[in-house]
This record gives sequence, C-alpha cells and structure tokens, in this order.
Amino acid sequence: MTPAGLTQEPPPATEVTASEIEQVERALIDASTRLPVLVFYASAIAWLLIGTLFAAFTSFKMHSPDFLAGVDFLTWGRIRPAHVNASIYGWASMAGMGTAIWLMARLCRTTLRHPLLLVTGAAFWNLGVLLGVGGILAGDSTGYEWLEFPGYSAIVLFVAYLLIMTWALLMFRYRRGDHIYITQWYLLGAFFWFPWLYAAAQLMLFVLPVQGVMQSAVNWWFANNLLFLWFGSIGLGTAYYMIPKVIGRPVHSYYLATIGFWSFALFSSWTGMQRLVDGPFPAWMITASIAATILTVIPVATVGLNHHMTMQGYFPMMRYSPTLRFTVFGAISYTVFSGLGVLISLRSVARYVHFTQVSIAYSHLGLYAFFTMVMFGSMYYIVPRLVGREWRYATLIKLHFWSSAYGVGLMVMMLLVGGFVQGTDLNDPSLPFTESTQSVLPYLRGRSLSGILLTVSHFVFAFHFGLMLFGLGRTASLPTFLNPLEPEPGRTH
Amino acid sequence: MRGLLPLFLGIFGTFAFSWFGLTVIPNVQIGALNPQTDEEGGDVYPAPPSGMMLRGARVYAANGCVYCHSQQVRPDYAAADIDRKWGERRSAPRDYLFHPIAFLGQMRTGPDLANVGKRPALQEQGAAAAATTKNSAPVGSPAPAVASSPVPTTPAGTPATSALAETKAATSVAPAASASPSVSVTAATASASPPPQASPATTSTTAATTASVAPAASASPSVRVTAATASASPPEPPSPGSTSTAAATPAEIVAPTTTPDGKPLPYTAAWHHQHLYAPRSITPDSNMPAFRFLYQKRRINGEASPDSLNFAGNANDRPAEGWEIVPNYDAKCLVAYLMSLDQSHSLKEAKAATAPASSPAAGKEAKK
Repeated sequence: MTPAGLTQEPPPATEVTASEIEQVERALIDASTRLPVLVFYASAIAWLLIGTLFAAFTSFKMHSPDFLAGVDFLTWGRIRPAHVNASIYGWASMAGMGTAIWLMARLCRTTLRHPLLLVTGAAFWNLGVLLGVGGILAGDSTGYEWLEFPGYSAIVLFVAYLLIMTWALLMFRYRRGDHIYITQWYLLGAFFWFPWLYAAAQLMLFVLPVQGVMQSAVNWWFANNLLFLWFGSIGLGTAYYMIPKVIGRPVHSYYLATIGFWSFALFSSWTGMQRLVDGPFPAWMITASIAATILTVIPVATVGLNHHMTMQGYFPMMRYSPTLRFTVFGAISYTVFSGLGVLISLRSVARYVHFTQVSIAYSHLGLYAFFTMVMFGSMYYIVPRLVGREWRYATLIKLHFWSSAYGVGLMVMMLLVGGFVQGTDLNDPSLPFTESTQSVLPYLRGRSLSGILLTVSHFVFAFHFGLMLFGLGRTASLPTFLNPLEPEPGRTH
Repeated sequence: MRGLLPLFLGIFGTFAFSWFGLTVIPNVQIGALNPQTDEEGGDVYPAPPSGMMLRGARVYAANGCVYCHSQQVRPDYAAADIDRKWGERRSAPRDYLFHPIAFLGQMRTGPDLANVGKRPALQEQGAAAAATTKNSAPVGSPAPAVASSPVPTTPAGTPATSALAETKAATSVAPAASASPSVSVTAATASASPPPQASPATTSTTAATTASVAPAASASPSVRVTAATASASPPEPPSPGSTSTAAATPAEIVAPTTTPDGKPLPYTAAWHHQHLYAPRSITPDSNMPAFRFLYQKRRINGEASPDSLNFAGNANDRPAEGWEIVPNYDAKCLVAYLMSLDQSHSLKEAKAATAPASSPAAGKEAKK
C-alpha cells in the first residue's frame, strides 16, 4: 500500500488476521464513498479547467487590454471574477468536500449511507456555480470580492451545502470508537464554519445590507475566513492524514496538534481587516487584525514543526510517493503563505505592497501552492482506492507536479517582485501614475508564462484522471511510484 | 481529543468571538452614521444619491471596475495618496454613507477614484494636451465638442462653446461675450467645467484679459446660479490642466470644455465617455480595457445626438462620415456615478493634513 508497508513481509495468507479484517473494512468503506467522491472530484476537475481558461484570459488581458475587448461578457472585469469564483467554489470547494467526505468515512470507520443524497448535493452545487459564473459573465456580479455570485446562485449553493454538510455530520454521528483524530477536528470546524460564514456574509451584504464601509469589512472578514477556516482547515486536516498515512508513522505530537488547532481557530478567524490597512475604518479594527495575523505565527509554527518532526527521516520518500510529494509541497507552502501574510500585514511593509499585485501573489500562495497542491496529493491517494486501478503513467504525474510547482513558483515570484516595484512607484508621487502600471507589465507577462505551465499541468492531470475514471488505470497490486523503488526506500535514517 | 462537546463548543466559541468582534461590534460603531450638517442643519454632507448614480454603481460592479480602481484616500502619514492629488484629506466612513456598495478596492492598476468627480486635471495630462497639435472641431460641426450626458446639453449652446475654446485672440472675445446667455447655459449643464466666474487665478492676469472679461461678467448673475450645480469644478484655483491655457487665452475663461487639440477636458463627462470608449486615445500608456459594448454606433438621423462622442484629434476611433457613437443608458449612469464620487467636503473627523487649497465655501458652492 505504501512504500513503507511494501518492504515488510506480508502476513501468512492462511489465517485471517485483525489487519486483514481491517483491510476488508476499509475496502468496504472506500467502495461506499466511491460514487459521491468521484462525482465531486470529476466536477472539481472540470471547474479547474474552466477556471484555468478564465485565468489565462485574465492574465493575458492584463497586458493586452484590447484583446477581445468589444464583447461584454469577455471584458476583463467579468472574466476575472469568473476565474476567481469558478476556482474557489467550483474547483477548490468541490475538491475539498470530496476529500473531506472520504476522510470522514475513513476516520469515522463507517460506510457511507445514502450516497445519492451527496450526489444530489454535488449536482446542486454544480448548478449553483454554473448559475453564478454565468451570472457574472452576464453582468450580474455583486461587486464583492469572492462573493460575486448573484443571489439566485448563492441560494442554490447554500441549499446544496446544507445537504452535503448534514450528510457529513450524520456520518460523524455513526462513527465507531471514541477517538477523534486531528483531521476530524479540522473537518468538523470547516463544515461548521463555512455555513455560518457564508450565511452571515450573505445576510449582512445582501439581505439586510450594512451601511457603507461596513460592507467592505464584512467582505474581507468573509474572504479571509473562507481562505483560512474553510480552505485552510480542509487543507491542514488532509495534510494531517496523508503525511502520517503515507510514511506509515504516527503524528509526532498530539499535544502540538492541539495547540496548533485551537490557536488556528482563535487567531486566524480574527484576520482580514489588515487588507483594509489605513482605510476609512476605526484604527482598532485594523490593528486587531494585524495583531491576530502576527499571532498566527503560533499555529503555523506548531503545525509546521509537527509535520516536520513527523517527516523527519522520511523526506526521501517524496522521491517515490506522488501523494507525499504534493502534500509536503503544500504543507511547506502553507508556512510560506502564512509568513508572507504576516510580513505584508505590517504597516511599514503594507505601505509598499498595499494595492499592488502582491495581494494576488498572496491569494495564489494560499489557494494554489498550499490548498490545491494538498488536494492534488489527496486525489493521487484516494482515486486509486475508489476505482480499483492505479495511476497509469508515472511520467504524467511527474509532469503534473513539476509544471504545477514551477508554474505557481514563477507566478508568485513574478507577482511579488512586480508588486513591490509597483508599490514603490505608487508611493513616489514625483513619478506619474502610469509609471507604476508600466513598470509592472514585464512581470505580468512573466505571470502569463507561468499560466501556460499551470494550464499544461491541469490538462495533464485531467487527462490522467479521465483515464482512471474510465477504468483505464493500471491493474497492479503496487501503487504507481514516481521513480522505480530502490531497496529499502525511505530507510535512510 | 476526548469528547465531542468541548470540541464543538470551542469551534463555536472561537468563531462567534470573531464574528462579534469584527462584524457586529464595528457595525454598532460605524454602521449607523448620519450625514454631517452645520449648526443650522444646512450644508448636508454627504448628499443622498441620485437614481442614475445608484444604477451606475451596479454597472461599476458588473464590469469589475473595482478590481483595478480603489476608492479610498489614505492619510498622508501612511501613503502618497494625497501627494498624488487623489484627495485633500483621508477618507472616512461617513464619506460612504450612501454608497450602495462601498468599492474600497484592493488594487491600483488604475488610479484611485475616490474624488474623480472633483479631481483637477493631472499635470501630465495638461502638459500632454498642450504638446499635441491643435485639431478641434469646426464651428457648427454636426458633432458637438461637448457631450455632457448626465444633464442634457442644449444643442444651440454647444457649437458656440467649441468656438470659444478655439478662439485665441483677445479681439474675438467681444462677439463671444455677446453670446454669453447661451454660453452660460452650457457652462452650467456641462457639469465638470471650471466655474466661469472670475477665480483668483484669472483675476490676476493681464489688464487686457480683465478688460475682455468684463462683458462676460455682465452675464454673471445667471452664470453664478448655474455654477452652483456644476458638480466638478477644480477645488484648487490653479488647476494645472485648465489654467495654463486659460492664462494664455482669455476666451477660455468663459467656458473651456476641450483641450487645444479637441480632446475633452479631463474628468468632464465627455472625457469619461471618450476614456471609457477608447482609453488609449487619451492616456497612451493606459492598460484599461475599452468598454465599447456600453456604446452604440448608429447612423446619424437628421441631427446628431448631443450625447455623441467627439473624436477630434483622434482619427482612429472616429466613426465614418454620417455615423455617430452614443453612450447607452448604462454608460450614462456609470459616468453619473463617477462624477458623483467626491470626498472634497470637509469632515469633522477627517481633517486635511495641510490647509486645503480651496476654502470650505468653495466646496460648498460646488456641491449639488
């Protein structure tokens, strides 16, 4: 199953051992999650491709504004929110929910009852995203970042979500054993926080709209918490499962994990207002968020340390396991992402990076380098267990990983450096304004290059996933390793 | 971890804390502000929005303007916003009281728009306009130079104004001044031209200028009344774009609406329309997308529409003879919204860092 397990002697086949019973149990649980999780994954990947195409448009039109400018639904200001929302709600949320469902079933050690309910939820969610993206392109965007979906889409999404969440919590109700694993803390949190977050934002922005600038405060409270409490929770929870699972070793410290979880819930939920630094708000709101952002160093350090200590001595296994490679890349990115978040929240730094491309770099570090990479990792682990086949081509996985890693790395570097140049120019009133937009253009062209890499990566992955879905994977007892196994892999310590 | 209850309570409690702290409590503090008034209850700021402004905000949202343009001026100790002439004071929550959506923004791929309805022409644009060759519309041409959409322009007054903008010699001022009744109407309705009444900058010009101004001043009562409705006169007397030319050409003191090369003066409605339709015809380095789908190209039926865009000095975007380009209603609303963005009124809670160049009275006068 894993490279670590592989080197052990298989138990004698004649007697039924406890571990064999467990394996049968697991297979049954996996089989019960098969349909809904695959539906979530397939939809997520479809939205990933759509979001990528929108992203290519967005990036290209940034430096070539006349490209397809005459068509209203292709104007830059509509393509951009279409990209963001298709990626957030279509790709990231659906991939996250698919993984979360599978993890819940595994960790609750219970088969998934009434999978069709979840499939219905997924169908409604897809409908909601489709209506939303269509609405944005048709000119119905609400104008709030990450909440651009018009009301008719939001209500469909919310109903779909309630279906999915009720179902996931029901699974928790039927769990076996008293022990609640770390991943479950994060998933429970995510499943509980998201509806509150989404409903509160919808209520305070559209149903009973708050006045003036409070809308922006609610907007950024929502966006930042969606990033941390929804995507962050699912991503961290997944990493807490995948890393120990693949290397076959328990989490280094439960104690650290507890500190990490509660400080994460407490501090990261208070961030968000630093995005409005020096804006028309009472200073205490912004200062509170900056302080909370700085305090997120505690959860980030504990989680990072915990993962690192768990991996200690097992890093060479990243050479073989696709899951581990993607997940560890994501986990490291989480530390980088949070570190950058702390840095750019400081007023002295914000002076140079506020209102620049740096905020785009920050979002992509969080949503792509961290969350999306962790999701890719979990898909490489979960999909073979659902379809009963192994990934067909190690080369394609490697291509996927490297084009994603280089793509997002290049993008973040370009936007960080470009954003800093832009911010420095903006802050020098002796330069004309256009200087700041002209100076960032070469970096934006570089970002478009990175987009090509990411597009390649996503289409490669979608193709590979399609092979799996149509039963064209390898029939083998061994998982697909990135490189041929050497004797005693991972036993270098 | 043992037990579901502590886990659940913790998950609930941490988030409730954040929800109360960052949305509910601030909402109590700044979520129910009232407009500011003076002691007698007059001088209300901010003014309630017009219907066109509200719809314009929807157009602004639908087309994603917020992803490139912020609408907030940061204090002078924090950033160079005030040095960039994006406003005279920092923005305050009260400024956004009536905004249907407060588009504070996250990005400045384009300039800040918090005061775009009030902003003086940029130095660089004034200089660029002066550098280019003159090429204005002929007097009485079918396509008028001024297309001020929020308030309909009287077609009779418009050609006269473009003629005025073109005249350079002091001798030609006399006939122009005789046409002053129609001119004053235009000046009032073109909602973003510098106020026609004698400003400090113009009174300090040469004797010849003051002499030529005199006839125009005879029409001053009507001008002064209508000037109060002009929503976007420059807050500072030495407006870089207009006064540099105004000092040289007395005629333009009356009602300059275009730069010497025929482009509309920055931040007038006509300017916004041309900028939305063809951004690079005005700012060559701009990477703003063109919003041509908000405009309609149609055959001129009889008389040209007073709203039609003027492309003097810009042959690339000019439609063929017999055709005109007119904004649709969404475009007019969008421009009305942009012209309403004005935080120049003084606020008790947000004082200008240095003494504002314009007196509060001037700001008051320019308010709708």
